[in-house]
Amino acid sequence: MGRIVLDGLTKQYGDVVAVDGIDLDIADGEFLVLLGPSGCGKSTLLRLIAGLIQPSGGRVLLDDEDITYAPPARRDLAMVFQSYALYPHLTVARNIGFPLRAARMPRARIRQRVEEVAALLELDGLLERRPRELSGGQRQRVAVGRAIIRDPRAFLMDEPLSNLDAKLRQATRAQFRTLHETLGATVVYVTHDQVEALSLATRIAMLDGGRLEQVGTPTEVFDEPASVFVAGFLGSPPMNLLPARVEGHDGRVRVVAQGVEVDLWPGEEVESRDVILGIRPEHLRQTDSAGPVGTPVLRGEVQAVENLGAEESAQCTVGGAVVQFRGARPLGLAAGQPVVLTTARDHIHLFDRSSGRRLAWQARQNQPTPVAPHR
Amino acid sequence: MSGTFVEVAAIPRATTVATARRPPFARRAARGVTPYLFLLPAVGCLAVWTYRPLAAALNLSFFSWNLLPTTPKEYVGLDNYHRLLDLPELRTALWITAMMTLALMLFTVVLPTIVALWTSAIGGRGRTVYSALIFAPVLVPPVAGAALWQWMLDPHSGAVDKVLGAEINWIHETRPAQIAIVVITGWHLLGFAVLVVSAGLAGIDEEYRNAAVLDRASRWQITRWITLPLLSPTLVFLALMTILMSGTLTFPLIDTLTQGGPDSQTTNVYYLLWEYGFQNFDTGFASAAGLLFFVAFGVIAVGLIRLSDRLTFHDS
Repeated sequence: MGRIVLDGLTKQYGDVVAVDGIDLDIADGEFLVLLGPSGCGKSTLLRLIAGLIQPSGGRVLLDDEDITYAPPARRDLAMVFQSYALYPHLTVARNIGFPLRAARMPRARIRQRVEEVAALLELDGLLERRPRELSGGQRQRVAVGRAIIRDPRAFLMDEPLSNLDAKLRQATRAQFRTLHETLGATVVYVTHDQVEALSLATRIAMLDGGRLEQVGTPTEVFDEPASVFVAGFLGSPPMNLLPARVEGHDGRVRVVAQGVEVDLWPGEEVESRDVILGIRPEHLRQTDSAGPVGTPVLRGEVQAVENLGAEESAQCTVGGAVVQFRGARPLGLAAGQPVVLTTARDHIHLFDRSSGRRLAWQARQNQPTPVAPHR
Repeated sequence: MSGTFVEVAAIPRATTVATARRPPFARRAARGVTPYLFLLPAVGCLAVWTYRPLAAALNLSFFSWNLLPTTPKEYVGLDNYHRLLDLPELRTALWITAMMTLALMLFTVVLPTIVALWTSAIGGRGRTVYSALIFAPVLVPPVAGAALWQWMLDPHSGAVDKVLGAEINWIHETRPAQIAIVVITGWHLLGFAVLVVSAGLAGIDEEYRNAAVLDRASRWQITRWITLPLLSPTLVFLALMTILMSGTLTFPLIDTLTQGGPDSQTTNVYYLLWEYGFQNFDTGFASAAGLLFFVAFGVIAVGLIRLSDRLTFHDS
């Protein structure tokens, strides 16, 4: 079992709040990714769970037991560090077997377990080497081996792939997924890499400034970002965000800005409000100047076209804003050319201009209201 | 359609090599010389104060001379070395030097490690205060320290005997005199050694400890399996310093407190050398002894530096 509950967890350093009142329920067997930019408090949060630092407030529960002030050794958690923290003077075998040696397991039994783990991680031939004689990927696997050799209640991973090159990262991601399926254990995984988060997580917790912005499955977080921050963090390039205004006009609800005209649906007496209009670059496509009546239209001018290999990305100006537009190569666009873009109505995201929260349409009240902050 | 596949042309290798213009010789030479100019003051001092006397000592060791300018030097070949190796006092002095060095390790390696490990958790201002306190004896000049200790070791009115409730004649009895020399030298060096070990501990990545703690290792296991092995280069360095410097560091105390006595039982090799050179004025003999010690300590130093290199684990 390994259910971790964070209850109003807070960590302050002087006046700086690193982790700000986090409530999070991590179910047993879940692969939860803490995602956010550097300095968002995700590593601090992981260390609070590990017990390496003490919180300023709140509680950490492990299987309903309050472990807030329990020393790390008593928590029965295993951690993979960003630096791997492999003991440089010990061989691979001794590094992997360290937790068992500390638990005073008989030597023969340790040897056997080490060999099993090494076989699982394809480290067989390297057991007598020291960490400095290993490549980055091998070191990373030794660190994982040291974590999985015992059967902890949960695994904590602090950016374990950040020191690997792109190709190795991809291979290791797949390995992690298999490992999680094999072990079925709870994993709390810290990263700033959205691809890692989206591909590995069963749930993603997005952090910004020490606070939770959104918690949800990768699909939820990507398809329905709860705030401008989440929308602007995920995607490559991230979602286009344009200041706009919601208005009722001629019996229709519309979103308008300079060069932008989005007809949403019929509606009367909509309260006008300032919004942020969000559209993902891959959801835009070119259209003839008019298109069918009522389709969303963005009129602008191409600034530059970038070759991304399989695709092309065009940077356009619409009104005063910059809009990225991405599609299969060739787009057939050149700098300086006027362009008309459109998208499906389902792909329109609206956020409140001042709070940054996502706006959802509530049909009965006939006006958009901010969704309650996700907890 | 008829046709044929044609290989896409490879990029041809450049056949003519253009030569970039090199800066003029004078400028290159000036650039090359600069680092050596920065080294020059240090090398110059070493040459004047260390290497030249060393060469002079090597030369003098083949002569018999009493240091008087009016007396001519008499060439005796390897005679001084033969006499030296046959000297029973040398063997006694070597034995005393070795014992004192070993005893001194308690104050330069063992105690500092224990103190530094125990105090590693002290942080902030408390750390500054404690560092200053423990470092203070290092700043006391050895001879001034010796004079103070002489009063404190006095068998009639000294503080040490009063505290111990004993009547030990510290300076005139063999074993107590040896202990006094070692303990006072140790008191001088302890603070320095603690700071060196603390710096060594600070150089060990905190993440190893964190990893070990999460792997459920006990405090003692972490100390034994992680901290001490990673600290070993620092400890070897301190041992090396002790071996190389104990002779010189105990010298002022020996000279001030016991003058090598009682019965030459606190005469270490340097004190012996000094007696032959500057009391008996047997310059050639003392020079031969100096060179012999220089070579012997050099060999020990090389051995220990090799050991230290082997024990150093570069991570990353």
